Amino acid sequence: MRLFVKYSRVNIIASIGALLLGSIGYYFMIRYVLVHQLDDTLKVEEAEILDYVKTRDRLPEPANYRDQQISFTPAGSPVARKFIHTTGFDQHHNEDRPYRQLLFSVRAGGQLYTASVSYSEEETEDLLRLMMLVTAGMIVLLLGTLFLANRLLLRRIWQPFYRTLEGIRRFNLSSRQPLPVSNTDIDEFRSLDEAARQMTNKILKDYEVLKNFSDNASHEMQTPLAIINSKLDLMIQDPGLEQVHHRPIQAMYDAIGRLRQLNQSLLLLTKIENNQFVHTEEIDLALLTREKLVQLEDRIRDRHLTVRADLDKLCLPINSYLADILLNNLLLNAIRHNQDGGHLEILLRERILRISNSGPALPFDPATIFDRFTKGAHSGGTGLGLAIVRQICDNYQFHLTYSYVDNRHVIGIRFPPLQNFDKMQG
Amino acid sequence: MKLLIVEDEKTLSDSILSYLTRENFICEVAGSYAGALEKIELFDYDCILLDINLQDGNGLELLKQLKANHKSDGVLIISARNSIEDKVAGLHLGADDYLPKPFHLSELGARVAAIIRRRNSGGNTLIRLEEIVIDTQARSVSINGHPLDLTRKEYQLLLYFAYNKGRVVSKNAIAEHLWGDDTGAAANYDFIYTHIKNLRRKLVDAGSRDHIQSVYGMGYKLALS
Repeated sequence: MRLFVKYSRVNIIASIGALLLGSIGYYFMIRYVLVHQLDDTLKVEEAEILDYVKTRDRLPEPANYRDQQISFTPAGSPVARKFIHTTGFDQHHNEDRPYRQLLFSVRAGGQLYTASVSYSEEETEDLLRLMMLVTAGMIVLLLGTLFLANRLLLRRIWQPFYRTLEGIRRFNLSSRQPLPVSNTDIDEFRSLDEAARQMTNKILKDYEVLKNFSDNASHEMQTPLAIINSKLDLMIQDPGLEQVHHRPIQAMYDAIGRLRQLNQSLLLLTKIENNQFVHTEEIDLALLTREKLVQLEDRIRDRHLTVRADLDKLCLPINSYLADILLNNLLLNAIRHNQDGGHLEILLRERILRISNSGPALPFDPATIFDRFTKGAHSGGTGLGLAIVRQICDNYQFHLTYSYVDNRHVIGIRFPPLQNFDKMQG
Repeated sequence: MKLLIVEDEKTLSDSILSYLTRENFICEVAGSYAGALEKIELFDYDCILLDINLQDGNGLELLKQLKANHKSDGVLIISARNSIEDKVAGLHLGADDYLPKPFHLSELGARVAAIIRRRNSGGNTLIRLEEIVIDTQARSVSINGHPLDLTRKEYQLLLYFAYNKGRVVSKNAIAEHLWGDDTGAAANYDFIYTHIKNLRRKLVDAGSRDHIQSVYGMGYKLALS
């Protein structure tokens, strides 16, 4: 929900509530005042009647006008003087009308009467109704104005906020562009803008530090490995080397190879995570897959695999190095975890790449297949190949799936339609 | 042939020195940026092995210096930074090749030999190993003058042995040379064996002596008499 909608909703509901309560109070107050005024009129009438009786000791003529009636009825005992609301029949309109009535006792010619002075409340009611109508009109007008004013004001006031937001949204680590300064005289937005800029600057700095760290880590680890490797290379030249040493030396070579690969894979993963491969070009995935299959033909032959490749041309804007790694890891994985004489099938159709290979079910939870260091106990791999695949897919918003059907492992990648690429890169 | 090894890790430069000196190369070592700068200004080298992460400077600066002095020394960058940017920058600045650490000395030897061959061949593109002649330009091999038909991998293998003749080359080094980085540890080395077996058979069938020896479980060696 947009801020404006939320704000307006609360604001208008509160206003309506307050105005409603206010109107009710207003109604009763006005009504009280008007009735009081009516009562005053009745009192004047009473005073006139009492005055008349006092001087003449007889009752005045009863009167029956349209909005004022005076009547006397003989009574046995005096009544308490009181004002009441009542209804009386109006001959002019031929219907019952509300009246305000004052009852009091009067004694004339030795007889006790109950005098009743009534005054039509119709005028009061009319007045009240009119006032309420005017009030309602005012409320509608007020709410409308409030709504429009808020809308205009909010839109203008929040402009810097949206500018800052857009800046943050467009912020891209790999372009190393700090946030643009948004000029505003509103303190809150200025501090928001400053905070966002400080944060992004810090991110940029951390990114730089991290990048340097991975470079340094690479240096620090590769050099000792290079030393060990070179010493082994020299050692095996020694004719005096005993045969019992050959197997341990081979094991050391293998271990160095593994460490080197682990190190490189980790660094690569970090680099992909950091979006350090920005440069993209149109890559024909079908063509690249065929090239990869040629490169890997020795391994395929070595394991006596039957390969079926059905590839439709599909061009994607992607970093060429990452595309290479993606296919390499997927294919290598499908060859390595195959069984001798097994199948390797690669389908590329309708923006879906599907690589399947025969092989026994996974010895671990299939949901973790793309996690780091997930691998079978006897796998000679680093456990990072598919993690790298996932990281690349994440970066490009490719949809990556794994399933095991009919003794076959199937890894699928669905590539988003082209316009999504534009959006991603914009 | 004169080589300069610019490497600040002494144990590593010792290994390189020891491996390459036996290749009839005269090697000098510079352990720092300053030392290297002094040497390249005074002497000409056939090939400079350049570590770009030096304690007191960036090896890429040395490359710029070479270029500024109009020197034509061959340069092989050996870097712990296996980054494409560095590789591109290095090659752009005129380096001949880029070898990330860790490397096999046999790979280093092959790369250095290839650089020197490219630079100093003076039209001579032939490598002679007794009765075997490798034409690096035409990428062809002949035995006693008769052409020999080899696959691409077999040719690469023979050339690798030729550049490291008389040396034991480990199976790991061969695998990485032929199939690249991701051979995988504990890889099945059967396909190396297959390629070597085929190469040996073809050489012997064409009338060559069987120069390639298997060294127990570790590797192979091309031995000339």
